[in-house]
Order: sequence, then C-alpha cells, then structure tokens
Amino acid sequence: MTPPTSNDDPGLPQPDLVAAIPRLRRYARVLTGEASRADDLVQDTLARGWEKRRMWRTGSDLRAWLFTIMHNVYVNQLALVRRESANVSIDADPTNPAWQLPVRANQIDRVEVLELMQQMGRLSADQREVLLLAAVEELRYEEIAGILSIPVGTVMSRLSRARNNLRQLVAEPPSGLRVVK
Amino acid sequence: MKRVETSEADVHAYVDGRLSAARAAGIDEALANDPELAAQVAAMRAQNAALRDAFDLVLAEPIPERLLAAAVPPHPRAQRSGSLLQAAIAAATLIVGIGLGWFARDALIEHEGTPTSFARQAAFAHALYASDINRPVEIWAAEEKRLVNWLTKRLGFQVHAPDLSSVGYALVGGRLVAGNEKPTALFMYENADKQRMSLQVRKHPPGTGETAFRYAHENGVGVFYWIDDACGYALSGNVDRGQLLKIAHVVYGQLAAAEAAPPPSAAK
Repeated sequence: MTPPTSNDDPGLPQPDLVAAIPRLRRYARVLTGEASRADDLVQDTLARGWEKRRMWRTGSDLRAWLFTIMHNVYVNQLALVRRESANVSIDADPTNPAWQLPVRANQIDRVEVLELMQQMGRLSADQREVLLLAAVEELRYEEIAGILSIPVGTVMSRLSRARNNLRQLVAEPPSGLRVVK
Repeated sequence: MKRVETSEADVHAYVDGRLSAARAAGIDEALANDPELAAQVAAMRAQNAALRDAFDLVLAEPIPERLLAAAVPPHPRAQRSGSLLQAAIAAATLIVGIGLGWFARDALIEHEGTPTSFARQAAFAHALYASDINRPVEIWAAEEKRLVNWLTKRLGFQVHAPDLSSVGYALVGGRLVAGNEKPTALFMYENADKQRMSLQVRKHPPGTGETAFRYAHENGVGVFYWIDDACGYALSGNVDRGQLLKIAHVVYGQLAAAEAAPPPSAAK
C-alpha cells in the first residue's frame, strides 16, 4: 500500500506573506495617511489575498500581486464611501482629515523629511501612490501599470505631475519655512 | 547643443534607473551640456532619496498582532472535532454546492477518471446521514446479513461490511446512496463516543485503474479514498487524518482478505 498523498488547498507562501507586511503597511499608509486605517486596509488585503489565492501564480512576485489587491480594495472602499456621502474628496485637499503624518513626528529628526511628508498629504492619492511605487518601492513602470490597471503612459504622466507638484509644494511651504537642499 | 532625445518621460525613467543603457547614455551626454537639466535631475534624485528616508520609517515599525494573524490561512482544520451539528452544516453547504452544479462538474471529471468527485460525494453523504440521529441507515446492523445481500444485489457485485471492532467502531447499519450513474453502498459505524464514520463503496467504470490512498478534506469531513479492482472506496469521518488512515488500513486489509476468501453463498 502506497502512502497517502495529500491534495490540500494550494496556499500562499506564508513566510513571503509575512515578509510583505511591512511594505503593505507602508503602501497603505501612503494611501490612507493614517496608521489604524492603513492597518485595516492591510488586514482586508490579506483576507482578500487568501480568498483569491488560486489566482496567484507560484513563483511570481507576491509583493506586486498583493499591491494590486490592496489598490483594488482601497479603490472599492473609496467608491463605497463616495456613494454614501457624495461630497467626500480625497484629492489635493490640504485640510483633508484623512491624511496625517504617516509616522509619529518625534520619529523624524530631519525637518525636510517632516515637511516632505506633510506635502505628500497635499497630493492626490493617485499621485502619492505612483510616487511611492516608483520612487520608494522602485518598481518598474510596467509593474506599476499592472498594479494600478492603467497604461504605462499614464503612470509616467502621473509620476511627472506628482514630482512637479511635490517640488513646488516643498519649495513654497505654507508656513514660510524654506527648506534648503 | 543636443537636446533632441531628452523627453520628460526619459528623464523620469533615467532618475528611476529604468532607462535602457543606450538612452541613458544619451541623457548622460545631455546632462554634461545642460546645467539646467542637470539641476533638475539632481533635485529629482534628492526627492527620491528624501521619500525613501521618510517612508522607510514605516518599515521599521513592529507588525501588529492582528496583521500577523491575517497572514495565516483562514481555514485551519479547526472544524475537525466533528459534532453532529457541524456535520449537518457541512451537509447543508455541500447541498448548496451540488445545487450550483457540482453534480454536472463531477460527472465530467468522472469520465476523465479522476476519483476526487467520489471523495466529495462521499463527504456529502457522510455529513448528511451521520448527522441523522434516528435514521442514519435504512437497515440496521441487527440484520447485517440482509443488509449485505441487499446492497450486493443493488450494486451488482459482492460487497462486504468490514469488522472495525479492533479500532473501536461497531457497525450501525447501511443504506443505498444515489450516485451519478451507479448507486453507492454506505456502511455506517459508530464508536463508544457516538462518533460516526462511514465506508462507501461503488463500482467504477472499467479501466479506472487503481489508486493509492488519497486524502481529501471537504467541509469539515475527512475522507480517505482509493480505487481497487474497479471498486471505489471512501472512508469518511470527523476524526483526524492519522486516525482515519489507521482505520482505512484496517478496512483495506479486511476487504483484501474477503476478496481472497470464497464468495458467501448467501448472495443472490
């Protein structure tokens, strides 16, 4: 008699999944701008990832796959909020209560970093997202296009606008405090 | 001055290290001749570095417990300790699955000779009948001989009800279960803790071949199943895999011994 073979569910590689959590939290923080909402988003993303685990191709980039899910979960949740209250806007609103400093201010020892983060909050979520994926995560533009389901050309134009806007915002801080590079 | 090829897109790709070597060389050349562009590139690089500095701080934060928990598969074998209620829930879930077209799918799979559908149906039948306290079987063990003869007649080949007393299970009785094309015989067993287990037997199309013991876990019911001599067997229960395998070995051994013995004359 041959030993029994298992035909359990295909899973996700759990060590890789755990390893991806810090980056998911960072992406979520950039999207939501607030720690506990960001972690809610990460939690929803992981749950969705398990639901869709059969869609993940073994050996492919788990981080990019999870980013795609996170983006979609975020967009869907946002659409829901917008349906419920018609006047919610996340775009470039300096008084947007959704955006706070992604990290505690006392963790930041350089004034330009603090300012940069504040100015990030004045960009639209679309632009913040592209900036994070390109400049911080250092993903290829094609990968970013895949994650966001937009053409590569759109990735590049958003990135260009995000950089220019951020540079202008940093150059002209509302407080009058100028950052010297 | 050559500024022909320095599109804005290329400059961004250059800063992000995403430009092909040939075009990057073009930018290098342009930078040497264009201080304004050089300053722009330097500013973009500084911005990238500042963003990384700022947002790398998040990576260093400890991961909250709830997120670590969310990285664990959501279906641990938690439902394994089988209660009758759980079995009933499993049965209800499977009925919905079948209603949604599992039967059609199973029939297709079966023609390809994959026995997994057998395991799913076996789990369904087990969940349905093991949870029935008053009427889990059609013929009780008190009339074992009549039961075996009846099932043998209905299935068209000699069936046996193994004696599982060595592993603490007594025969409760048996019933006929509707299969896709052919009926299935079900023998129900019970231990001192009122835990039930079922052995299901049916004819498989010729040429199905033999299979190793295979394990499936369907909605809280564990199933070991195998095909031997064009007969499919499925042992289902809400016990852990090791225990179920042990019992499957006993069943297999008894059936092999029964096959070797001369057929009882009672079958007609």
